[in-house]
Amino acid sequence: MNLITEIENLKKVKQEENDSNLYLRKIYEPDLINLLKKCYQCARCSGVCQISKVQKFTPSRIIQMILEGFEDEIINSQVLWDCLMCNSCLEHCPKDINFADIVRIARYKMRLKDIQNPDRSIAHKGIYPLMSEMMSQDNMEIERPLDWIPKGCKTSDKGNILYYVGCLPFFNYEFEDSLSIAESTLKIICQLEKDPVVILKDEICCGHDLYWGQAKFESFIELAKKNVKRFEETGATTIVTACAECYRTFKIDYPKLFEEFNKKFEVKHIIEYIFDKWKQGKVLFKNPNKSDEVIPFTYHDPCRLSRFLPKDNKIIEEVREIFKHLKIIGYNFKEMEHNKENSYCCGVNSWMNCNERSKALRYKRLLEAKAVGTKMITSCPKCRMHLNCLKKDYEDFSSIEILDFSEFLVDLIKIIEPNKNVEGK
Amino acid sequence: MISKEKKVKNKEFHPNILCFCCNWCSYAGADLAGVSRFQYPPTIRIVRVMCSGRVDPAFILEAFKDGIDGVIVTGCHIGDCHYLKGNEFARDRFERFREVLKIFNLDKRFRLEWVSASEGKRFAEVITEFTNKIKKLGPLQAI
Ligand code: SF4
Ligand code: SF4
Ligand code: SF4
Ligand code: FES
Repeated sequence: MNLITEIENLKKVKQEENDSNLYLRKIYEPDLINLLKKCYQCARCSGVCQISKVQKFTPSRIIQMILEGFEDEIINSQVLWDCLMCNSCLEHCPKDINFADIVRIARYKMRLKDIQNPDRSIAHKGIYPLMSEMMSQDNMEIERPLDWIPKGCKTSDKGNILYYVGCLPFFNYEFEDSLSIAESTLKIICQLEKDPVVILKDEICCGHDLYWGQAKFESFIELAKKNVKRFEETGATTIVTACAECYRTFKIDYPKLFEEFNKKFEVKHIIEYIFDKWKQGKVLFKNPNKSDEVIPFTYHDPCRLSRFLPKDNKIIEEVREIFKHLKIIGYNFKEMEHNKENSYCCGVNSWMNCNERSKALRYKRLLEAKAVGTKMITSCPKCRMHLNCLKKDYEDFSSIEILDFSEFLVDLIKIIEPNKNVEGK
Repeated sequence: MISKEKKVKNKEFHPNILCFCCNWCSYAGADLAGVSRFQYPPTIRIVRVMCSGRVDPAFILEAFKDGIDGVIVTGCHIGDCHYLKGNEFARDRFERFREVLKIFNLDKRFRLEWVSASEGKRFAEVITEFTNKIKKLGPLQAI
């Protein structure tokens, strides 16, 4: 019988001691029982679990069943692939049991021991994780299109500040407007930076989806190694990204593999970046279309910026400070019913679990948004895609515009001393 | 998985090419090529699908990921699809998907062709031509 709590067998499988194993050990803990033992069955996790609202799923029961030796039932029911990895349970657990992380490890074990392989049920036939995996291989040369770069914006492959675009050009094939996020972000950065911004033509995926969703740790490690090497070559000290997932991965998961990562590179989300510049008095907010109409808008917190960051480092308040300030230019910020750490999940994580159940979660989220505003801002490209995808199916949501943070701000931001004449396309 | 040894053993590079044929036209075309003894290189492995519209871009990426040297998708001529519009969907899909292949530098290794049931000769030609092209490009898997 194959069990995910077995430790001995696993050692045999991964016996050879090599470089990759060394890294693997840093993001992988074979002793699941030990991680679960602390749970004292208060069942708060099951109460707050997002997916439990739309299907039968109770983390506390899963934990107890595994502890009491009924794990084959858990494995056979395939329920471990259903967790959204949203971390709402960790947020409320009095014992700090990181259920999502444990599920991640369990998934890896299931793969390793050939118990289960969900590749066929990944959204979009698993094409996006496949791309990430391909990027981790040495025989692929990556050459990204750079025609989205705003005119007049100087880029280079060496310099201080690097804009990490992420997978946007790949998404562009099915989601036509994804590159507008990259364009808006770069436009803002370019106007604020004196030196050219580093854009890598051969940039590869950060590996987030392989780490959380598909549990392909080996490919994740390869990607991380390649990325770090490439970043070092550019001489960059600051990495700016507009993607919540890339941010979390660079900030928390890469340092697990490379202790020095945070010392070498300062990773900033575009929210932090703009916030800092605003506090330094380098930017103002201005409304180009003068009208007295007040536009109500709201913000959807991506889990990676709220629940997936350490308590004192969450990117929650900065963005609200900026948004509240926008009142003077006619944008009225309103909170949705569930907000900040309690915000609803967009329902799809790492391209897993796109189904009618997670659709119900998205539907609820858009209802909340519709109740308070006409614009819904988010700062994760994937949240934007998934929510937009549902929006297209339902006419009642046609009044809401779903935008990325940088797309929303690009026209409202006024740089006090712009150093280049950057125009949009 | 494609075995690397095979490629090295006989010094000359024999590409491995994956060929999707739709059941109603191009598979019959391939059949005709065989029956009429039109010569074409033994480089392709044919996967029969019901319609070219059935071929998902993920299949193609997966093949490249596992080290295949080229992929060719064939179907009925536009307007002839047994399911009316399957090949039109395929055409539009792969046109957009080409952008992704370009990023991976694989667009030259991918081809979409229409071959009808009576075009056995053309099938052989297409395969010969594509094989030569892949031979020029060299193996995908760095050996
Ligand atoms: S909230 Fe934490 S301690 Fe309570 S049942 Fe869930 S995992 Fe166990
Ligand atoms: S991570 Fe989210 S979906 Fe998974 S058990 Fe916790 S609350 Fe539920
Ligand atoms: S919600 Fe839409 S965009 Fe997101 S995974 Fe599902 S089908 Fe794709
Ligand atoms: S049946 Fe031949 S392409 Fe559709």
